[in-house]
Amino acid sequence: MASRLNTKHKAPFSYLVILAFFLGYMLLPILATYLFSVATRWDRTILPEGYTLEWYQTAFASSYFTITLRNSLIVSMASVLVSLLIVVPTVYWVRTRLPEAKPLLELLMILPFGIPSVVLALALVQIYNMPPIARSPYLLVSATVIFSMPFMYRAVSNAIEAIDANTLTEAAQSLGAGLGPILTRVIIPNIFPGILSGSLLVFATVFAEFTLAKLITGAGFKTFPLLLVEYTRKNGSVAAALSVISFTIAWVASMLILLVGRSGKSGRQEHAPTH
Amino acid sequence: MAYLELTDVSKSFANVAAVKNFSLAIEKGKLVSFLGPSGCGKTTTLRMIAGFEQPDSGTITLGGQDITVVPPNQRGIGMVFQAYALFPNMSVAENIAFGLKMKHTPKPEIEKQVDSVLELIRLSDTAKRFPHQLSGGQQQRIALARALAVQPQVLLLDEPLSALDAEVRLALRGEIRRIQSDLGITTIYVTHDQEEALSISDLVVVMNKGDIEQVGSPIDIYRKPQTRFVATFIGTANQFTGEMSGEHTVLCGQYQLNTRPPADRIASGSAVLVLVRPEAIQVEMEADPRPSVNAIPGMVETVTFHGAVTRLGVNVYGQRVVADVTETNTGVINLNQKVWLTFPPEVCQVMVQNE
Repeated sequence: MASRLNTKHKAPFSYLVILAFFLGYMLLPILATYLFSVATRWDRTILPEGYTLEWYQTAFASSYFTITLRNSLIVSMASVLVSLLIVVPTVYWVRTRLPEAKPLLELLMILPFGIPSVVLALALVQIYNMPPIARSPYLLVSATVIFSMPFMYRAVSNAIEAIDANTLTEAAQSLGAGLGPILTRVIIPNIFPGILSGSLLVFATVFAEFTLAKLITGAGFKTFPLLLVEYTRKNGSVAAALSVISFTIAWVASMLILLVGRSGKSGRQEHAPTH
Repeated sequence: MAYLELTDVSKSFANVAAVKNFSLAIEKGKLVSFLGPSGCGKTTTLRMIAGFEQPDSGTITLGGQDITVVPPNQRGIGMVFQAYALFPNMSVAENIAFGLKMKHTPKPEIEKQVDSVLELIRLSDTAKRFPHQLSGGQQQRIALARALAVQPQVLLLDEPLSALDAEVRLALRGEIRRIQSDLGITTIYVTHDQEEALSISDLVVVMNKGDIEQVGSPIDIYRKPQTRFVATFIGTANQFTGEMSGEHTVLCGQYQLNTRPPADRIASGSAVLVLVRPEAIQVEMEADPRPSVNAIPGMVETVTFHGAVTRLGVNVYGQRVVADVTETNTGVINLNQKVWLTFPPEVCQVMVQNE
């Protein structure tokens, strides 16, 4: 009992220090960016000299703003879609019919982390050097799908491991269901939280992706991070404003996905025990 | 005429034979148990009937039609799993309706059918609940209802009670038998629990290492085991080794046993095994005067109280023999007491020792 009390007294302080350090490390750059995006000038004083929305006006007025934003959304959503279409059936198939392929799949899903995106981009550009694929948005989406696939794979794979996919499949089969209804009515609804978080991770990763977009499509199909980097050279304050917009979009997208996930769940699992 | 028939069905996994030349004919409306230790091939056989595994050789026919290669979703065979396998995203009613929806049954009929099977399993009030809100026993009853809702030609139960605790297991066992008899549905019940198999079945198939050891009524399986495996796997049996000394007498060293006449004549001098159930042995203080009754002397070494019976461990010429006695017919028995184990020839089953 005494030792428990002891830890109770000591722990919060050391934990708080660690927590504060962590939060500061993570949040300070973001807060600074927010502040910088509304500062008139902030290089001679501790706090900004004044506040303005001018940089946002400049950002919104840029002819490339809507185009790059649209392009980024297209690439991100297409990546999510393609990733889902590839990963969900594959993971299901490997889980239920081909468990011996799982180690290979796990290995493949680590590769994107090991291969720098510069290498991936240059290799793809060289190999797929024929129209209409060469330097096209299609090639960009292919690259971002590879690049972000581990996030989707991990989320979906964990979700499918958590349900007894084999027995659920067999139960559905014995009730007369073919592959289509098994996937759409039984498997997907039960791994939906995994699908959602995978989609969210892929969306966020691809939305902020710079290297692949720069090297594969470049000026031909400019994405939002490209515009942002351009502005860091021209005007840091506008770049900060664009960063804030980018953050906001990522957050709104996350919230929307979480909300959709929760509303899908709440109807049927409001009494769900926490486990 | 057999309704479900398996002929020479074999299956191996990675060159290890799981089921060897399994042949069995099951009549319509019967409840048949596959009983055996884990790894005996009972579940593999069941899964081949369901269509989840393909036999390496042999055929399976249902109602005269060869279903060996028919996909599981077109066999019309219902299945209940050990782990319930209810769809977590669906309510109880939706779970039960699933199979009917797959058959494109009209909605009003689905509702009627869902209500009727829920009534059958006496869980009408759970229709709107979700699987995680139900107890294990309730979930398994829903799984049973779900399998029955589509009116399958055959119902398969794969160790349906193994995950439940003893009390629920007992209640649900009776429930399964009641529903099965009411509906007259041909059912195969896989279990490793001998008591379950004996109490519930019309026919028991005892399996070991991929082979059928014996097929028979529960009473025959218990009273007339045909192999040593069946005798020892089902209940407890004392084994006396000896050699045939007459048509139905066996010489076991210092004493001779009168046995039930063996089904097939066993040549004199053959090494045999005599099996006697503990509850068939009477423990007396004096030798039985009738020469036809077996009476062998021994010394009580252990006395274990089991409630309804007391199990005695008796040393008979160096061999431990167990006998179950009720307190009323023996009085008080003490350790190291000399007793006579008495049992009639009818309870002695002889089999040739082939190991």
